[in-house]
Amino acid sequence: MFRREMKVNFKSFLIWTAILVGLFLVVFLVYPSIINSANIQMMDEMMQMFPEEMLKAFNMDISSIDSAFGWLKTEGFVFVLLITGIYSGLLGSNILLKEENDKTIEYLNSVPVTRKSIVLNKIICGILYIVFMVAILSIFNFIGLTLSGNFDKKMYILLSITPIFSSLVIFAICLFLSTFTHKTKKTLGISLGIVFASYFLKIISEMGESTEFLKYISIFTLADIRNVIINVAINPLMVILSIGISIIFMLGTLFRYEKKELV
Amino acid sequence: MKNCVIEIQNLTKYYGNVRGVENISLRLEEGEIFGFIGPNGAGKSTTIRSIMNLINKTSGKVFIENKEFNKNDVEIKEKIGYLPSEICLYDDLTVKEMLDYHEKFYKKNIHKKREELVSVLQLDEKKKIEDLSLGNLKKLGIILAFMHEPKILILDEPTSGLDPIMQNVFYELLKKEKQKGTTIFYSTHILSEVSKICDRVGIIKEGSLIKIEKVDDLLKNSLTFVTLTAKDNKDIIKDMNVDIISEEENTIKFKTNMLHDELIKKISAYKIDRILIEEATLEDLFLHYYQ
Repeated sequence: MFRREMKVNFKSFLIWTAILVGLFLVVFLVYPSIINSANIQMMDEMMQMFPEEMLKAFNMDISSIDSAFGWLKTEGFVFVLLITGIYSGLLGSNILLKEENDKTIEYLNSVPVTRKSIVLNKIICGILYIVFMVAILSIFNFIGLTLSGNFDKKMYILLSITPIFSSLVIFAICLFLSTFTHKTKKTLGISLGIVFASYFLKIISEMGESTEFLKYISIFTLADIRNVIINVAINPLMVILSIGISIIFMLGTLFRYEKKELV
Repeated sequence: MKNCVIEIQNLTKYYGNVRGVENISLRLEEGEIFGFIGPNGAGKSTTIRSIMNLINKTSGKVFIENKEFNKNDVEIKEKIGYLPSEICLYDDLTVKEMLDYHEKFYKKNIHKKREELVSVLQLDEKKKIEDLSLGNLKKLGIILAFMHEPKILILDEPTSGLDPIMQNVFYELLKKEKQKGTTIFYSTHILSEVSKICDRVGIIKEGSLIKIEKVDDLLKNSLTFVTLTAKDNKDIIKDMNVDIISEEENTIKFKTNMLHDELIKKISAYKIDRILIEEATLEDLFLHYYQ
């Protein structure tokens, strides 16, 4: 069952990973010409004109876009977080529910497997693909950055890990929500909504003290990028929270699925 | 008395306030083919889905070989072959890949039985599932249900989509299974196959089992159609209190549940010009219970 699960979800994994890798490939190909041109200074000057809150929201107050690594720390990781988040959301809302949506659950329920084993196989498959996606992108970017010049390797490795925390939680929440319905089309919109709403809450929370509280309800707070850039360290609390929240929602999924009517 | 293989005790299922089935109880003995008949919406699929734990029972229990069948009981699942009425399998796989996948769920080697079934049902293993016709999909469903040689078969409208030749091949398969001692729960609304293959039949109406009887007894004892011509047929109708189907001048046609002996004794009291006594077919019985 596990091998089949990996096979079924391979195509979408490949497409989403290709999108991310393709995006960064373009960056690595284009960036050298930007850096070497006079425009980069103009761009930096232009950035100074933006309000501080705005720069803070995109980590531009603590990083400059005058290098490929600088860009990665600012806009680059916005894309990584969003795309891995969307992928994880879609995967979570689809991986278990697909069997009911396609009515193949009637077959799967009749063979000698427990419901717990169905859920666990799918959870392990989902986690592996999220980790694979982040790992492939990290290796690709590591090679790209190495070819582009010097960069802080420790900071990069820590930064590369951070999307896993937010993605795992998104995956677990969407997986849990999928146990409340039988049709995937009902959950796809919700999962995308969670990702985008979370991201905008995070952006808004960094724009001022009055909105700072919003970070507590954004999943992307768990991807502790700002802290990594400033302190070159991952806040252990975020790791514990990510794992804890993921486990809670996965246990919730197991519990709900055990009682769920499958047709 | 043979072993009880499937026992359903007071099965009730409500979908919110809507009744699915109510208080269904029945016992299936080892080696019997039990026909489960009823029109659309009577509760056949709800009963089967409750047995298979696809839906939660409101109340009641299902026992397989005297052990309660809970949704995660893998040991019991190994003993059951299930064929749903609508077969939905993994479209991206070929027939061969699907059968290989299925084999891996079972501890014992079931490859030989698979080859035998594929050959008997003449199914092309190279075809993709998404390209299979309804009939071929049904054949694949049958192979999946039969190939691990289960002790119990739960079949929901198994012949729909099969051509008459394949239907006969399938009936032969059932006969062999019965000879081996397999217990078969056979849900259908094709009444001719019930009288052909089933030992007993259960009739479900509006969620309740209204009759369980041996197929032979049901046909013998239940309903008789009488067409008679007599001058004093008005008196016959009045005295015998029968259920009139048609009436034309001196000829009446009625149906009755009376035993033939009693019926003839009663009719013999009148002067009859012509008489025709017909045994009801299963179709007649079906209509009788549902109208």
